[in-house]
Amino acid sequence: MLVLSGSTFPIQEWSELNYDALGAELKKLRENVAGVTDTVIAATDGIPILADVAKNVDPAHISALAASGLGIARQTTEVVGLGTLGQTVVFGSEGYMAVYAIGRLSLMVVLGDKGLNLGRLLHESRPVIERLGAILAA
Amino acid sequence: MERVTGVLRVVGNAGGLFHLRDGAVVAVDSPGSPGADTLLISSGIIEEKDWAAALVESVETRSLQTALVARGVVTATAVQDVATAAMQDGAFAVAAGEIERCCVDESVDPPLLPATTGVEPDLLLAETTHRLDALATLPFPLSPYRDRVVAVCGTEPATVEQRQIIELATGRRNARDIAFALGRGLHAVTVEISRMLGDGLLEIAEPTTSFSFSHWGLTSLHPRAPREVEC
Repeated sequence: MLVLSGSTFPIQEWSELNYDALGAELKKLRENVAGVTDTVIAATDGIPILADVAKNVDPAHISALAASGLGIARQTTEVVGLGTLGQTVVFGSEGYMAVYAIGRLSLMVVLGDKGLNLGRLLHESRPVIERLGAILAA
Repeated sequence: MERVTGVLRVVGNAGGLFHLRDGAVVAVDSPGSPGADTLLISSGIIEEKDWAAALVESVETRSLQTALVARGVVTATAVQDVATAAMQDGAFAVAAGEIERCCVDESVDPPLLPATTGVEPDLLLAETTHRLDALATLPFPLSPYRDRVVAVCGTEPATVEQRQIIELATGRRNARDIAFALGRGLHAVTVEISRMLGDGLLEIAEPTTSFSFSHWGLTSLHPRAPREVEC
């Protein structure tokens, strides 16, 4: 308990997010999948948490777009009866943006160039999402 | 003896697909090297709008090369030259990376632009070995995937190609990334980067440059507990 000016407020004992552990996972993903250029972890409300991006990529914009896209994709899978959402992928002529849900509260964005190994990304991202979920929940 | 028609899938990073027809390799697709489509468009041989239109037209004819030639924008010889170059570059890209396992896969679509005359696997292997050996003997041998390069300040590139590479050498990109950004073959770009490293125009980037993490001090994703106030 901390006493301030005669009133008593409880101090919530939040532990800091383990940014080093989160960063290690993003680094491994970029090293292991050819074509991954940038990665962002964000909350599902679009607030960026951790980003490894080039100077011309704005994590705030990417996080907001990913959050809205993931929300629509989740709703779509539910309404159309497509089961559990695996990933959403935007295909562009010059590259890709893939978004993965990390539990209910956060997401991971992966940007890739036109040569991105999309199959390997899906394969490699599954255990990464599991570990990121555990780190974020700790 | 029966000769294989199908696909050899090489799983790894970058990995790739070897398309075989009657035992000869007709195309190699790899995420490690730009394909024939990228090489044709980036080099200016074909404009992107012609490529897109030919893709639509080839749905019925089942031959993208026929559709491209029929539009009068490129000759069959030019397409074949690029397809063969992309095949050899794809084999180099697979061999220069990590290989986890190989398997025959029959559920893969045929390549967009196969070489009309396939290359015997022995010949392709010999050419790939030659390229790997040549890279290893350069003054600054580098991995096209592991090593990320950054421009050295205050140096003057000698050629247009070097200038283009320097503009892309942010420290986050490896040779493979730069090859895709330029739309040029992986082997040629890797050799050029190796020379530039030897000449002091580029250097291997520090890990903190290659992976630049930033965060905004968010302490938790959990919703805040209701505040207790003692009166």
